[in-house]
Amino acid sequence: MPDLASFQRDFAAALMADERSARPFRSPAFAVYRNTSARGAVEGLRAAYPTVDMLVGDEMFTQVALDYRGERPPASPVLSDYGADFPSYLAQQPWTCELPYLADVAKLDRMWLETFLAAGAENGRNAPQSRIMLHPAARFGWFMTPAMTIWQAHREPQQLVELEPDWREEGALFTRMGNVVRTKPIDAACHRLLLACSDPATLSECVTAVAEAHPNANVPELLRSCVASGALIIQ
Amino acid sequence: MTPTAGLSFKPIHFEQAMACPAEGLWFEVHAENYMVDGGPRLAMLDTLRGAFPVSIHGVGLSLAGAEEPDRRHLDRLKQLVDRFEPFMVSEHLAWSKHGETSFPDLLPFPRTNEALEIIARNIDIAQEALGRQILIENPSLYMQLQGHEWPESLFLGELVKRTGCGLLIDVNNVFVSATNLGFNPISYLDALPRGVIGEIHLAGHTTDPLLGQSLLIDSHDAPIADEVWELYDWLLALCGEHRPPALIERDDNIPEFAELLEERERAASMMAGCRRELIHA
Repeated sequence: MPDLASFQRDFAAALMADERSARPFRSPAFAVYRNTSARGAVEGLRAAYPTVDMLVGDEMFTQVALDYRGERPPASPVLSDYGADFPSYLAQQPWTCELPYLADVAKLDRMWLETFLAAGAENGRNAPQSRIMLHPAARFGWFMTPAMTIWQAHREPQQLVELEPDWREEGALFTRMGNVVRTKPIDAACHRLLLACSDPATLSECVTAVAEAHPNANVPELLRSCVASGALIIQ
Repeated sequence: MTPTAGLSFKPIHFEQAMACPAEGLWFEVHAENYMVDGGPRLAMLDTLRGAFPVSIHGVGLSLAGAEEPDRRHLDRLKQLVDRFEPFMVSEHLAWSKHGETSFPDLLPFPRTNEALEIIARNIDIAQEALGRQILIENPSLYMQLQGHEWPESLFLGELVKRTGCGLLIDVNNVFVSATNLGFNPISYLDALPRGVIGEIHLAGHTTDPLLGQSLLIDSHDAPIADEVWELYDWLLALCGEHRPPALIERDDNIPEFAELLEERERAASMMAGCRRELIHA
């Protein structure tokens, strides 16, 4: 009889191994454990990336998620922690060249989830010298693809008509007001402002950074809308 | 309010749960679903906790792992316990982590003397970190393993003796394991230690798509089977006057709240003492 550590080493290896080589645990009953642990990871990933699931379909998502799990299995029993690098994994897969926006859509799914699960402002960073700061639940990004248009069309389907997005760069902002996650497209100047506010900075430093990069931007209006949407906190 | 029969909490039933006047109703949540920094999930649980007793049921401590429990995971569990002050905290007699890999499952092991030492150590670590007693749940078993030195009932009893933990007896798991491994579920229940069962779980199961009735799956996606209600009745009789809170577990194929409430009412009635009539009605 092997000791507990050896037994668990062999059992764990068989759970991750190819079905045909999963000896000495090759039985229909062992398959219950194999399937349950694989399905847990796949469904955890699917819950975190619902728009990717919609775009590629159930069957394809399952296969991709199984491949991903084979390379990068969960490290924590908290499944919302799992798959943070799934967008970059997708970007590296040769088949995604057919869907060049897919990895960006995955990033948007992740941002939504992070906004949903993040601490509120009361628990956030609070550097005493900063006058303007990003809300702890705010997430934003800038993409080379029309990923935000595609993401919104799938996640907020009332906007879905015939989807023919212009192939252009897009920005996205996720905020949480109360318990509701809000999403909106942002322009380059707004993205620059949020970027400037990501590190502790004074209001004037942030305004200057945006005005220099985007001389035509209406910075006071940008600030107002970012504060109103809950993306920025001014103290 | 003394908790009697409870339900596993489903966010889709939040409003109905909050409005439900059932005497003794309580809710159980999976700890790992609430190990997040903030947001609506925790806010919803705060509100629920304000109205009902809550139990926190962990699935990821890997207490039967050869390694000690993950300290970071224990810290996160402690934060939840401190925030929500659950009336019960429970975990499983199973392992789910090996090295850096976590398996979202409850995995089996040979119940040896060595395993007993290790698991008692791990339960001690968990109870010390949490500053309270935890309940240990019997798992569903699917395959015969070589090398057992203890029957499960006595193994659980020995863990209680060594660590001061309590037991959470999942009656459906007893039935599933007994069917899959070919033991008598009544004898299993009879061999459990008396007076240490802090909670009972009731759930539904399905049959394996290939092997049918010879391999039952603890799927939590169906109503509780008649045989499980009968075993529950038996266990209640063994518990005598000390009848622990019971939980209706449902994790998949979630029905209307009212349907879960019906199962919950049945469990509550059985706890209250009118057992035989219900079983044979």
